[in-house]
Amino acid sequence: MKIAAAALRMLVAGIFLYASYDKILHPADFAAIIKDYRILPDILVNPAAIVLPWLELILGLLLAAGKWLEGALFLVNALLLVFWTALVVNAFRGIDVGCGCFSTAREGGGDMMWYLFRDGVFVLLGLAAWYFCVLKRDIAGKRS
Amino acid sequence: MNRVRNTVVQSAYIVVMAILCGLGVNLVRPDGLPVVQAKESAVTLPSESGEIAIKDALLLFASKRALFIDARSGFEFADGHIQGAVSVPVDDFDLIYPKLADRFGKVDAVITYCDGERCPLSTDVARLLTSRGVKNVFVLKNGWTVWNDERLPVEKGQQLESLLGVRDTFCVECAK
Repeated sequence: MKIAAAALRMLVAGIFLYASYDKILHPADFAAIIKDYRILPDILVNPAAIVLPWLELILGLLLAAGKWLEGALFLVNALLLVFWTALVVNAFRGIDVGCGCFSTAREGGGDMMWYLFRDGVFVLLGLAAWYFCVLKRDIAGKRS
Repeated sequence: MNRVRNTVVQSAYIVVMAILCGLGVNLVRPDGLPVVQAKESAVTLPSESGEIAIKDALLLFASKRALFIDARSGFEFADGHIQGAVSVPVDDFDLIYPKLADRFGKVDAVITYCDGERCPLSTDVARLLTSRGVKNVFVLKNGWTVWNDERLPVEKGQQLESLLGVRDTFCVECAK
């Protein structure tokens, strides 16, 4: 079980580290993608584009190092849920956005269903990682 | 309980770290973003006080974000002017300026105009305004003719401030 928890943790860490890389390099492009979502007010677009990639990087590093897992996995799940909800909302609104999940290239959509499926899987991975790395560990700790 | 406390405290630390890292790096990197982005506008204003294009002037006019200053004589102003414009002949500038001073800060642009490609009056008034510290002063070159050619809103009538030396903002016979 420990191996499964570690594997999940490293997998989610990899996803977050990979996701942060291109956004940190190209903040202006990432800001343009956030703006395309038409969810955040304009005044929050740049602050989100500046902070979000670093949040992803720090979360990825903490998960990889196995430190502060309660806080890191809580934020990971919160972010994944927010990202997925944003995609769902825009899919319903018919707004075809570049995902901005891993790349800042503003490719026109057509892949919305793929994004929704993939990010849905990430949400499940995040929840599983939280279950195995935090909840299960606590239960095991109390039993022993 | 301990888990909840750990979650809250650690999350707060992580978010603060991310904010500090993000803002810090953004501050030193050459392609850093402005934290507060200026509101986007279709209007292209010259970076320094200069000439403004008729399309931009019209957008500012329609959204009531500009004060139009008619630099021609009071008689020409009475015969017709851009709707809502204020008459400020160059010779009367010092008398009229104090009455208008509080209006400049309430608009995004101050647009001066006169009539003719080589008419210097609008430029003169723009220079006087800039010398008094008024920001975003632009000249609509050949403004009156260009405005009329496009059949944009005009009105007739005369403000007394430019007539017979009487200083008042009351507008006589303003009609489209």
